[in-house]
Amino acid sequence: MTSRIDIEALAADLKPVQRIKPELGLAVTMIASVFASFAIINTYGLRPDILEGMPQPLVTIRSGLLLLLGMATAISVTAAALPSVGRTGDGWLWALAAALLLPVSALVAWLYHSAANLPFAPGDVDFRYAKWCLQLSIGSALLIGGALTVWLRTGAPISLNRAGWLVGIAGGSFGTFSYSLHCPSNSIFYVGLFYTMAVAASACIGRLIVPRLIRW
Amino acid sequence: MAQGGDAAAYTVLLTECKRWLLRYFARRIAPAQVDDLVQDTLLSIHNKRASFDPERPFLPWLAAIARYRWVDRLRKSYRASEVTLEDEFSIDSDEAGITARISIDRLLGLISPAQALAIRLVKIEGLSIIEAAQRCGQSEPLIKVNIHRGLKRLAALVESE
Repeated sequence: MTSRIDIEALAADLKPVQRIKPELGLAVTMIASVFASFAIINTYGLRPDILEGMPQPLVTIRSGLLLLLGMATAISVTAAALPSVGRTGDGWLWALAAALLLPVSALVAWLYHSAANLPFAPGDVDFRYAKWCLQLSIGSALLIGGALTVWLRTGAPISLNRAGWLVGIAGGSFGTFSYSLHCPSNSIFYVGLFYTMAVAASACIGRLIVPRLIRW
Repeated sequence: MAQGGDAAAYTVLLTECKRWLLRYFARRIAPAQVDDLVQDTLLSIHNKRASFDPERPFLPWLAAIARYRWVDRLRKSYRASEVTLEDEFSIDSDEAGITARISIDRLLGLISPAQALAIRLVKIEGLSIIEAAQRCGQSEPLIKVNIHRGLKRLAALVESE
């Protein structure tokens, strides 16, 4: 039964290999994120309040949540390059739950405004940058997720769909963060709707494309 | 040592892996496919040896690759050529504790009984959809749906459970 199993041939083909290190995958992700951020800042400029070192509280919160979600998912997916039974690596779900506070806050505020019949401030519903926001965020996500996917192909991920989601969320989070450094909006409605859409769309793109690229 | 290029150590390692894989896959796939599946898995071990971290236990890494190849094989082969299982296959009791944790049976136990039964009958025993439907009482479309959903679920559980 085992005549085809030629261990000698595999041993003869043996060459020293560099062990795959998840830290390298994280570094690749960080470098791509920094590159995307600098590209956006150089081309479209940094928000004035960040430039002055006094960012709006919402800017600090949204940036922090996006970075947290990006880091948590990037750590999970780079760890998945080393296969092992019994590892869950679901810590990123807490970061996702925290990030979901943005759309939830937007929804609660909108419901409150609607119920109390309060007028919206003009800046709250100024969505003229929305298309721009989605294009730059998802474009950056493709760059960052692409770099992460190329690195992931050197490893041996075995939960391909999960890896696809995680690459998409990581790319989307860091990509949206890159855009947020330029984003002129200070509206929770804008952030809750369009930032969420950017990360969700990136996650779906990752789920659809990445598994077939990392299959082995 | 194998990652450093020590061919002698690597030969010993692969030989032990082969023995373990033959037991691991026994009765979990049509007997005629065990040889191919072990070969595929050894090749995967060879190609992906850089993904093993020497600071971690070896068996969970090996089992993860074995499970991945097993699910992949089940997906690819819709109908195996042999239809019966051999009763003489047995699993060593020495590894019972670890095996219970990483075994394929445990994986099959995590999907619904109807899905597991459909996969066992069609993918492992090699029955046709019609034969499997007659054997277990599920309709033919339901057998197909259960196989599809069961394999999808297995693929998602390969690493975490």
